[in-house]
Amino acid sequence: MQEATFLILTALAADSQHGYGILADVSQISGGRVRLRPGTLYTALDRLRGDGLIMVDREEIVEGRLRRYYRLTGEGGERLAAEAARLQANAHAALSRLNPAGGMAT
Amino acid sequence: MNDREGLERGYRRLLACYPREFRRENGEELLGVLLSSAAGGQRRVGLAEAADLIRGALRARLRLPRQCPPTVRAAVRLMYAGAVLEFGILVTVILTESSVRSAILARYPGLTAAQWHAVVLAHLVPDEIGAPVVAGVWLWMAWANGRGRYWGRVVFAAIFGLSTLSMLSALSEGAVTFAPADLLAGAAIWVVHATAVLLIFSRPSARFFRPNPNARFFRVAGSPQ
Repeated sequence: MQEATFLILTALAADSQHGYGILADVSQISGGRVRLRPGTLYTALDRLRGDGLIMVDREEIVEGRLRRYYRLTGEGGERLAAEAARLQANAHAALSRLNPAGGMAT
Repeated sequence: MNDREGLERGYRRLLACYPREFRRENGEELLGVLLSSAAGGQRRVGLAEAADLIRGALRARLRLPRQCPPTVRAAVRLMYAGAVLEFGILVTVILTESSVRSAILARYPGLTAAQWHAVVLAHLVPDEIGAPVVAGVWLWMAWANGRGRYWGRVVFAAIFGLSTLSMLSALSEGAVTFAPADLLAGAAIWVVHATAVLLIFSRPSARFFRPNPNARFFRVAGSPQ
């Protein structure tokens, strides 16, 4: 799973969000390291909807413009949990080899 | 026209690069997010924004439908490879032009200058003009077959038949003696083409290519009109 996909799914893990909210949240989750642009975000959202990992939660009209809220599907939640577990296992393996005694590597 | 209207027009122009379905589903929403993300007082679409939208449009256009089987996905990748190889042929022809000229001279020593010029043109020009056109056809075929167009599969197989006949004809005329590099490139393309044909006509691909019942061209005799 690409990092952008992982971050988008993570942004939707707790609650539904609209596009602009996802952009801001992805930046916050990654500590400002990943800043998605709208074109990249909507290409990813369209693909993730097609793959059944996210779905539209509700729609609103704000200042005459459509605002759509997205949320994870059951399959999306499972995929995100599996990817998070994989990353956690990798990180654990790396840290335990860097510092076999149990302390944190610096 | 105020700044915001000009900016919106710029975004709309770029959004026109996306496929129609994508625009219908996401266009207005994406436009709203673009305008919300724009810096205050921004009058024009930035270079990075434009590049992002063009890249997104390209991805949306190249994306294959979810139901596209792996065999067709592989065939589409080969079709893209075919387009790349065609450009390779163009480069090969340009680079080997002098060796082709000398080979023709060695093979037909009795030719007059005008005749020699005509033979050289007959061997080089079709490749130099044809290669970019054929590369375009490969891309067109990748688009059609990746979307399960029944006619795309038929046309691709027909082109394969014609290119095989053309290659056999060139071999029988002794083209191999002119430039072995050209022959190698031609053979590589033929193998790519043959493999892609086998993939799109394989059993797992069959369900993806359903004839359009409204297309008169593919109606069989006795079927409902």
